[in-house]
Amino acid sequence: MTLREILNIVFLFVLYLSLQILIVRNLVLFDVAFCFMYVACILLLPAEMSLSATLLTAFVVGIIVDTFYNTLGMHAAATVLMAYVRPMVVRFQAARGGFDGRIIFSIHEMGSLNFFNYVVILTFVHHFTLFLIEANNIFLFLPALVKIVASTLFTSVTIMLVQYFSRN
Amino acid sequence: MFELFQFIIKSRNFILFVLLEVLSFYFIINTNNYWSIRYFNTSNFYAAKILDWSNKAREYARLRQVNTDLAEENRRLNALVTQLQQQKPQVPTSYQTDSIFATRFQYKVARVINNTTTHPNNYITLDKGTVDGIRPGMGVISPTGVVGKVKICSEHISIVTSILHSDYMVSSRLVKAGVIGTAKWDGIDPTRMKMLDVSRNTKMYRGDSVVTSEYNSIFPSGILVGRVIRVGEMANQTFHDVTLAVGTDFNNLSFVYVVENKLQGEQEKLEQTTAPERK
Repeated sequence: MTLREILNIVFLFVLYLSLQILIVRNLVLFDVAFCFMYVACILLLPAEMSLSATLLTAFVVGIIVDTFYNTLGMHAAATVLMAYVRPMVVRFQAARGGFDGRIIFSIHEMGSLNFFNYVVILTFVHHFTLFLIEANNIFLFLPALVKIVASTLFTSVTIMLVQYFSRN
Repeated sequence: MFELFQFIIKSRNFILFVLLEVLSFYFIINTNNYWSIRYFNTSNFYAAKILDWSNKAREYARLRQVNTDLAEENRRLNALVTQLQQQKPQVPTSYQTDSIFATRFQYKVARVINNTTTHPNNYITLDKGTVDGIRPGMGVISPTGVVGKVKICSEHISIVTSILHSDYMVSSRLVKAGVIGTAKWDGIDPTRMKMLDVSRNTKMYRGDSVVTSEYNSIFPSGILVGRVIRVGEMANQTFHDVTLAVGTDFNNLSFVYVVENKLQGEQEKLEQTTAPERK
């Protein structure tokens, strides 16, 4: 990794975490669609970064977000799981011929459809874990499911929009 | 031994993953753990600082809600003030007011959704109706003065006859001069009103406040109607020609209070029994 790439990643983290904490933290549509766009800073990490480093980063990001939501552990658990599943999703997509070689996770390199699939699948994994942990009760499964689907859509669309409007 | 190390190195990612998940779930299940109470919550100094900044930025967006809350609080305080005032009327100390009489005024907050000031007969539309307990005949006041009287109610909407209406008269009292008269709009300028029936013998003061009198059954006494800005002479020379600046700013009306007089029906019924004798 070059210095430029590292600086890019640091900028990415500051951007997404501050957006999450300062702005979209209180953004809830129709009481069901939450926006957890900070997952993008794990999704956009370069593919050649080692899995151990990604897991540790995910844990730290999760703990930071948890601090602001007063839910210590929930976001961390969901984000770590998402980071662990990420290489599998990438392998699965590559096997289907979506892309190959040195992958750069961006809308321009992967194409809109591939990138959207990648974001939706991993966001779903994250939100599924998060809302089920939060519901913590079998009777709340259905409301949680509604929240999961609505929030996955909302978060994915937000991430796509930010990607469209940020050229670099 | 070597194989064990090899296994650990080979599956180090999985082990790290399990460790981190176990740690997370330890935090989740053990909600009272030292870490989550001491450091990782919003009472953390830096977290609180950041949230404070973000709140300052969002305060502008919340002004609307803040206004609503303040209007609600004003309603509560208004009710309290009226109650206290009514318990101590300007009468000898031996006179005790009935407590039901003192608490007869109740306030409800409503928002103005339509408002005219340019017609000869003006009406105001409010966003609350019978469901919220508003009935025709109730008085309407704003934080700065008298607004009017509820005319028609549907379930969720009410229409108020504004005091800027050709037939509308408010029994009012000049505070400094201490006389009772009737305030009425002459239909020309929405910021000016006339005060009728003030005898020539009365000494008038410029800037004197005109408030609702005790003879009102729909308004509590002492609500501002306007201020005297000009005193002239009527053609018949029996009364002063008094011009008032209207207290309520009708162009910027947003929140109003609907006043319910719980004894209004009783009072009117009783007064009607004497009506035939009057003529």
